[in-house]
Amino acid sequence: MSGEISIKGLSKVYRTDDSETVAIKDFNLEIKEGELIAIVGPSGCGKTTLLRCIAGLEEVTAGVISSGSKVFSEPGPDRGMVFQDFALFPWRTVRKNIEFGLEIAGMPKEQRKEKSDKYLALMGLTAFADAQVHELSGGMKQRVSIARALITHPDIILMDEPFGALDAQTRNIMQMELVKLLDKTDQTIVFITHSVDEAVFLADRIVVLTKRPAEIKEIVEVPWPRPRDRASPEFTALRKRILTELENENTLV
Amino acid sequence: MTDYFGFNYDKNNKHHRMIRQALLIVVSLYGFVLLWWIVSLLANSVAIPTPLETWDEFVRLLRDGDVTNYGASVWGYVGSSMTTFLEGFAVAFVIAVPLGLLLGYSKDLRDLTAPAIEVLRPIAPIAWAPILILSIDYVVGPVLVVAIGIFFPLLTNTIFGVQKIDRNLTDAAKTLGAKPYQIFYKVMVPSALPYVMNGVKVGLGVGWMCIIAAELYAPSLGGIGNFLSEQAFMGYWPSVYAALILIAAMGLITTGLAEYVHKIITRRMGME
Ligand SMILES: Nc1ncnc2c1ncn2[C@@H]1O[C@H](COP(=O)(O)OP(=O)(O)OP(=O)(O)O)[C@@H](O)[C@H]1O
Ligand SMILES: [Mg+2]
Repeated sequence: MSGEISIKGLSKVYRTDDSETVAIKDFNLEIKEGELIAIVGPSGCGKTTLLRCIAGLEEVTAGVISSGSKVFSEPGPDRGMVFQDFALFPWRTVRKNIEFGLEIAGMPKEQRKEKSDKYLALMGLTAFADAQVHELSGGMKQRVSIARALITHPDIILMDEPFGALDAQTRNIMQMELVKLLDKTDQTIVFITHSVDEAVFLADRIVVLTKRPAEIKEIVEVPWPRPRDRASPEFTALRKRILTELENENTLV
Repeated sequence: MTDYFGFNYDKNNKHHRMIRQALLIVVSLYGFVLLWWIVSLLANSVAIPTPLETWDEFVRLLRDGDVTNYGASVWGYVGSSMTTFLEGFAVAFVIAVPLGLLLGYSKDLRDLTAPAIEVLRPIAPIAWAPILILSIDYVVGPVLVVAIGIFFPLLTNTIFGVQKIDRNLTDAAKTLGAKPYQIFYKVMVPSALPYVMNGVKVGLGVGWMCIIAAELYAPSLGGIGNFLSEQAFMGYWPSVYAALILIAAMGLITTGLAEYVHKIITRRMGME
């Protein structure tokens, strides 16, 4: 395993013919192996851009993102990604979507089936193994896309608002499932969320970003073991503090 | 629920939808035949037979064959045209689809070929008929004319399909470790497929226009278009119109098939 991530001097500028958007500016962050990092920040501040840079999907304007001696300049199966809009393959069944990464790696069919059976069960999707993507609810699609990213066992998992499309109740269930899952693995997870509550519930550290261009406003350590009690005074206090911070950031726009 | 003359139409009821569809087809065809009848009566010309005369001739043609040609079976004519058509389609398909996928994939190649394609595309495929048939031969020529007709709609739709690919899907494949060639055949090809089928549908229509015209330049081919023009030259007008019915039927069968395949693919992809 080499799940640590080192981001040094990262800048990302989107250039079009007549405009320049500085999405990220001189960004530095060290993430330890097995850590669960939540990223919160005002809308449009550059969170997705940051994740795409780590995934190797964007060419960085300046800086280096690396893990040990390995520089992340290209996407690779060592970094799984859960996309904000699921990005499932509509011509594949649920099972074939989940097996995509294994198929790419050339794993034989029986082994693939064995693994996908496990992940289907884990995500409560066994009954929908042969369903087409368009037959699923938003929450199911979400679970398929998480299973698809997890099944290849990447060292690093990047999640872009993984529960953003879910209703509050499914969201809570998914958070609990993720907690159970995470405590069993040593994978590093970086996830973006708009929900401070979710961040405090799940993360080891919360990275609070400024408005665009994204810079780190504060890094909050959350030392409590999971699962956490949302009703506890510390929990509410911390949530409130971060919310206030974000609100200040938003009014500055 | 909509009330049609006391009949409660429920568009969520499958049977209601089927009845509606059947009624629409009947009414539409009935109206068409009626209009034809009126025109033929008003024109009062031998060149415009009534629907009834045409139908009688059609039935006779199927029963007795082409009496101007020792009773040769019209199925032979239909078969000949269908063969030319399918060969032309096959030629267009094996070239246009891979080329379209490639051009959709590579912007450099697309930009390089676009000027040439844009010059060639507006040329009516039928204009190629005399050139290809007289310069090559009576068998390969018509096949190529049909192929040209089908080629361009198929090519442009395939290119469009590849360009329409959701970038998130190719990105997702990349993060799952897919190499460029795997992205090509595991993501681009399947996601362009509905557009390819759309190109097939459009291409088939153009192809049928081409084949009849192509056969005019290849009289010894023995297709339905040859039969049609010979009958017209001899002034056997009901036979001409009976031939039109056969042509329409062949077109319906091929587009119906394409429609069916298209539907299966889009339904599987939830694109309806
Ligand atoms: N491909 C692109 N080309 C040009 N500008 C872009 C591109 N992608 C993002 N941007 C710009 O970069 C900035 C940051 O976008 P990004 O998607 O990273 O924000 P975000 O923090 O994820 O927002 P949200 O919370 O709404 O998802 C925005 O101003 C956006 O308009
Ligand atoms: Mg975003």
